[in-house]
Amino acid sequence: MIEFDNVAIGYGDKIILTDVSMTVPDGRTLVILGDSGSGKSTLLKGVLGLLPCASGSIIVNGAVVDSLNREELLLYRQRIGMVFQEGALFDSMTVGENIGFWLWEHTDMTDDEIESRVRMLLSFVGLSETIDLFPRELSGGMKRRVAIARAMAPEDPLVMLYDEPTTGLDPFTSKSICDLIRQVQAKFGVSSLVVTHDLHDAFRVGDLFTFVHDGKLVVTGDRQVIEESVNPFVRTFLSE
Amino acid sequence: MLFNLIEAVQMFSLMVYRAAGYTITRFRSREVLIQMDRIGVGSIPIVFLASLFAGLDMALQFEVVMAPYGAKALLGKVVATSIIRDMGPVMASLVMSARVTSGIASEIGMMKATDQIQALEVMGVDPVDQIVAPRILAGLVMMPILSIAGDLLGLIGGLAIAFLAAHIAAPLYWSGVREALTLPNMVNGAVKPVVFGFILTSVACYYGMRAGGGATEVGRTTTRAVVAAAVWILVANFLISKLLINLWGTAG
Repeated sequence: MIEFDNVAIGYGDKIILTDVSMTVPDGRTLVILGDSGSGKSTLLKGVLGLLPCASGSIIVNGAVVDSLNREELLLYRQRIGMVFQEGALFDSMTVGENIGFWLWEHTDMTDDEIESRVRMLLSFVGLSETIDLFPRELSGGMKRRVAIARAMAPEDPLVMLYDEPTTGLDPFTSKSICDLIRQVQAKFGVSSLVVTHDLHDAFRVGDLFTFVHDGKLVVTGDRQVIEESVNPFVRTFLSE
Repeated sequence: MLFNLIEAVQMFSLMVYRAAGYTITRFRSREVLIQMDRIGVGSIPIVFLASLFAGLDMALQFEVVMAPYGAKALLGKVVATSIIRDMGPVMASLVMSARVTSGIASEIGMMKATDQIQALEVMGVDPVDQIVAPRILAGLVMMPILSIAGDLLGLIGGLAIAFLAAHIAAPLYWSGVREALTLPNMVNGAVKPVVFGFILTSVACYYGMRAGGGATEVGRTTTRAVVAAAVWILVANFLISKLLINLWGTAG
């Protein structure tokens, strides 16, 4: 479960978001929507402990993120599945090494066991044949799939986070990535946060939705709440 | 300005301190070997070529200056002393800084721009552990090896000029070289490349880790890193020379 308790967060003295209070229960996916530069990804950085809260707190499965020291933070992050906007795959490693990296770092698994798990994860995302390829040899959609496989390497993640997972992809590939996010959700049953500015993709993957505008969350709720909202920003977003 | 300098020194020191800690506590042999190959083996042709021509040129210049004084017989000793104490390590390091410092700074800068550094942090891996420590260690190991091998090439270049232009017999040249192989000279030639190897890799990592996003910023950062490494190598060269001359009480 992820809880935002009256959070204000930003970069140094520049506060991007204030009064953020919401809860993402286990097994639910919250989609954060908003225009570019509104601070959607800032919330993910808060959950990851990459940005401290100026006030309030972010609590993940009972742990107050800002109270963790450096070592605790590294341990905490080991159990977070994160998919970056462009995948952020390590370009000096093959696809297999990218996915196996977490396992090499944080488990005592043998090379054979790791390869077996890597192949299983690649099969899950439908890219079994790419294990020896380098990221530069993959299309945008394939990179996102590999990034999702890499984020799934921990067998028991606390939460799954997705930063603009479909940005820049064609509609067909976007839909396949959304379906994959749904499958991951069904497999792990943990809280997920998805940042996007695409409403169609949001409704495909989300259970709950929140809109970020002018440094605040303007509406938070399920699809019905969103569709019935009278907030002008949300109405504009829905009509686009 | 002063605050920025203090902050930079603090950040650099902290990075080096953490890298040293990781090198001791969790040695990444695979990464270190990869970096030794990239930094060291990959630099062999350019370092050897630069050292050879440095030796050729130095012997040529000394021969012109020494001939009128009838001191050509000392050419081997003079060339060897210059190469082992100063020119060899400095030449190899400056050539390496153009290749290695720029390579490391731009690589890390691009990793930062494409969120790969942040991905490491998110996966619970300290980038200093995975990225910085292996590169600094590889620089510390490979720079002395390359520098000493480069010294040999420089001496061979000097021999070519001694033999062909100054008409000095090879045994006389090598006997002069042997005279130059004193303890102070060899300590000079061994200590400097280690320090220079540290400078050119650590400076590259520092600038790379602080690079902003985008190709332009990565380019600027790379340029800054190469300039800073070159300047610090020259400063360190002077300081080490001064320190060792004071220590031995003689220029060797």
